[in-house]
Amino acid sequence: MSEIGHGGKQIVERILDPQTAKEKIKNLKKVPVREQMAVEVIDLAYGFFSPLQGFLGKADVESVCKKMRLKDGTVWSIPIVFDISDKEIADYGVKEGESILLTYKDSPVAVFDVEEIYSYNKQEMAKDVYGTNDEKHPGVKLTNNFKDKFLGGKITMVSKPIINPPFTEFLLTPLEMRKKIKEKGWVRSVAHQTRNVPHTGHEWLMKGSWLSAYGELPVEKMIVGVIVNAIIGEKRPGDYIDEAIVLCHDVLRKAGYFREDVHLTSISLWDMRYAGPREAVFHAALRANLGITHHMFGRDHAGVGTYYDPYDAHRIFDQFSEKDLNIKPVRVLEWWYCPICAEVTYMGLCNHKDKIQNFSGTLIRSIIQDGVKPPRLIFRPEVFDLIEECAQKYGMGSAYVTKEYIANRNPVFTFPKL
Amino acid sequence: MADTFPINVWINEERYEKLRAAGLGQMAQEMLAGLKVLRVPTNEQQRDEILKKYPMAKYDSATTKSIELLPRDVKDKIFDLIIQKKSVDVMGEFLKA
Repeated sequence: MSEIGHGGKQIVERILDPQTAKEKIKNLKKVPVREQMAVEVIDLAYGFFSPLQGFLGKADVESVCKKMRLKDGTVWSIPIVFDISDKEIADYGVKEGESILLTYKDSPVAVFDVEEIYSYNKQEMAKDVYGTNDEKHPGVKLTNNFKDKFLGGKITMVSKPIINPPFTEFLLTPLEMRKKIKEKGWVRSVAHQTRNVPHTGHEWLMKGSWLSAYGELPVEKMIVGVIVNAIIGEKRPGDYIDEAIVLCHDVLRKAGYFREDVHLTSISLWDMRYAGPREAVFHAALRANLGITHHMFGRDHAGVGTYYDPYDAHRIFDQFSEKDLNIKPVRVLEWWYCPICAEVTYMGLCNHKDKIQNFSGTLIRSIIQDGVKPPRLIFRPEVFDLIEECAQKYGMGSAYVTKEYIANRNPVFTFPKL
Repeated sequence: MADTFPINVWINEERYEKLRAAGLGQMAQEMLAGLKVLRVPTNEQQRDEILKKYPMAKYDSATTKSIELLPRDVKDKIFDLIIQKKSVDVMGEFLKA
């Protein structure tokens, strides 16, 4: 049975079988890539970025930047580009119409059929995508750091990456996720985007959006799931380590805060661009490809600093029809602690606005740093204990990213030698 | 001073003992389902000075509008000054020191 992804196109994995791969890569010029590009190759090959089959050519980049659509009209909000310098083009002998072999850490990754070599105004790209040229915006910084030329063309992965523990069970490709959803008997599912260890505000965001997605469906047997989809990508010092984020989400179910039949933890590989509303649209496409039917968007989704209004990422969905996006946005306000209600409650319900107490991951981290254990109403004790365990097991003593962690951590994925 | 950009000094057992010994047990506010905290006010200029002096600290502009992640030893010094002055309005003096 065909699996239809974002843009109404069938999801097709672009991966060669080992024997064909060995033959195909013989005599290809090798071009090493950085981690971000290796990640995007994995996403393209497995169909996380469907209907994209490779890195965008100039006409598609322009269309994405200006109209938020590919040139065929499919909604697409963030350009997926392969940057390269003139020197590299010359040194590796890259030519239009020829194929090259992308390698990562000396292992072969993918065949790249180079259809186009082009230039693009990076300042214009940044302004269109991020709405600013301020270098403090991480997406602008990434764009400005692109090399001066881009390659467009299809990619085909030459071997499947090995996803290393503890992430192995959490990386489900679009086809695997769709199979998993069927096995669970979920007729709807709601995605929770995260880069954080969960506090109860996050927990209630998930529970609230699950209730929204459940709607009119029968409840004798649970047929709707929450799918936590943690974004694993470039880390900055001070972030929670990836292992803590994923395992702490998973422990919410293991400790019974979610039933086994309504909750699944998973990951996607992606370097966040913090593009706010445009990133929300990108996340919607990504999760539509995973077969998820609903996507929760909270306050300031994928935003950074004060570049976007906290609800820009809600409003952007007003401009798309149901045909445009194969996933329904669930728009939610904030959950906060109210001392009068004596519970974590919802901004759309609680009318003690002058008494409410907001809390965030940063605030909880401050509490812990001061040697205080947060109450279970705010932060689950199982999560608290697991953070420390992750710090010792994966973080070289710290649950937060340090230079030592970045340098010495076990990689999330590796490509085998052929 | 207007409580514009507070620093939350969370009261652990050690700090609570010191507060009690100084007869200031009532000074702490209750927050988030039973936690005790001293909210130390700072103005905009002081906030910026703190963030510059302690780059690991963060102003949570999105949610809590407070200065967080100051190292514990720095907060201990602020806390000791509060005990000494019997007031949470200590940031001017703290930053001069």
